[in-house]
Amino acid sequence: MADQPPAPDLTRPLSGPLAPPEAAPGGVGPQRAQDWYETYGRAVYSYVRFHLPSADAAEDVTSDTFLKVFRAADQFDATRGQPRTWIFRIAQNTLRDHLRRSRVRRHVPIGSMRDLATDAPSPEERLLWEEQVARLLGAVAELRESDREIISLRYGSGMDTAAVAEVLGLRESAVRTRLWRALSRLRLLMEGADP
Amino acid sequence: MSHPPDDLRELERRLQDITFEPRASLGPEIRGRWSRGEVPRAAPSRRPGVLALAGVAALLGLGAGTLWLVVLRPARQLTVDRCCQDLDGGGDADDGVVVVSQSGVKVQYLKIYEDLDRSGNYSLGDPVRFLRQGVPTLTGPLQGVRTAEFCCLDYDGGGPSDDALVVMGHPPDRISMAAIYERRATDQPAALR
Repeated sequence: MADQPPAPDLTRPLSGPLAPPEAAPGGVGPQRAQDWYETYGRAVYSYVRFHLPSADAAEDVTSDTFLKVFRAADQFDATRGQPRTWIFRIAQNTLRDHLRRSRVRRHVPIGSMRDLATDAPSPEERLLWEEQVARLLGAVAELRESDREIISLRYGSGMDTAAVAEVLGLRESAVRTRLWRALSRLRLLMEGADP
Repeated sequence: MSHPPDDLRELERRLQDITFEPRASLGPEIRGRWSRGEVPRAAPSRRPGVLALAGVAALLGLGAGTLWLVVLRPARQLTVDRCCQDLDGGGDADDGVVVVSQSGVKVQYLKIYEDLDRSGNYSLGDPVRFLRQGVPTLTGPLQGVRTAEFCCLDYDGGGPSDDALVVMGHPPDRISMAAIYERRATDQPAALR
């Protein structure tokens, strides 16, 4: 029992597809949970993308996040909080597992931003914007984890500070203070100084 | 103060302008994974440094085990603790299985537990979801049962990773039956152990 087995990569039904579990009494059910992807999928993806240098990796983490959401939908208790808070906590855990598993490189390669939304009128301007974003996210990646997390939650997901406070279990005033400090350190990094 | 200090506003504005869009087919893909009963990838159970240490320990254990087998009498009973997988269908890879077998052949004892304290193996206080001794036993109703096979690991301590674990139950935490059998490449029937 000295070694731990690798996670099995094959789980298959013995006969036919596995039936998705029905909702437990009080749960919202997987069908309703699938609607949550329409509501929160983009925000979760963009939050994850702030942490990860490639669209493919962000898709994997987003996919695993919502698979967990669907599977655990009947355990969600609406009286204890917003679905958004619950979903983002699942996303945080999934992202953490991914980072531990892959030990991804922190730099953001140019040309890897096929998923960057922009209304730049010309290819040159789009390329310029991609370079700026790559430089910004490259600097974000150099920050310590708590700074990266609060910046990704606030600007990646687009949540306001009150919603970020819910996810992190902090007071909103504390989130603002931490956010301004993280931005100060980011600015110093962007200027080429030590934070 | 709902806005950052003046010297940070430009930086905030640039961050707010960054928006990433997932491709349109990602949502249908996730639903497809869900409808096929796929499970999310399991979380790594150990930090890399600890894994390396565990690897060294495993090698030392392997050497000691080989010495034991060659020089001393072989052990009559083998105990294997495999963690962590989503055995009960609860959604989290937090379940483990303890198997006691006779020389890696005949399963004498099988226990599925939830690794509540995330220790990576069974410990006191971990809830037991299923327990059997001797032959496979059905302990719950068959109606609406979910059957899943987990393959292939060395569940019984027999050596090669050729064992499959069959789990029948009602997610998220009820297990009615669990058994181990050896997967074979030939047409021979695989006997439950």
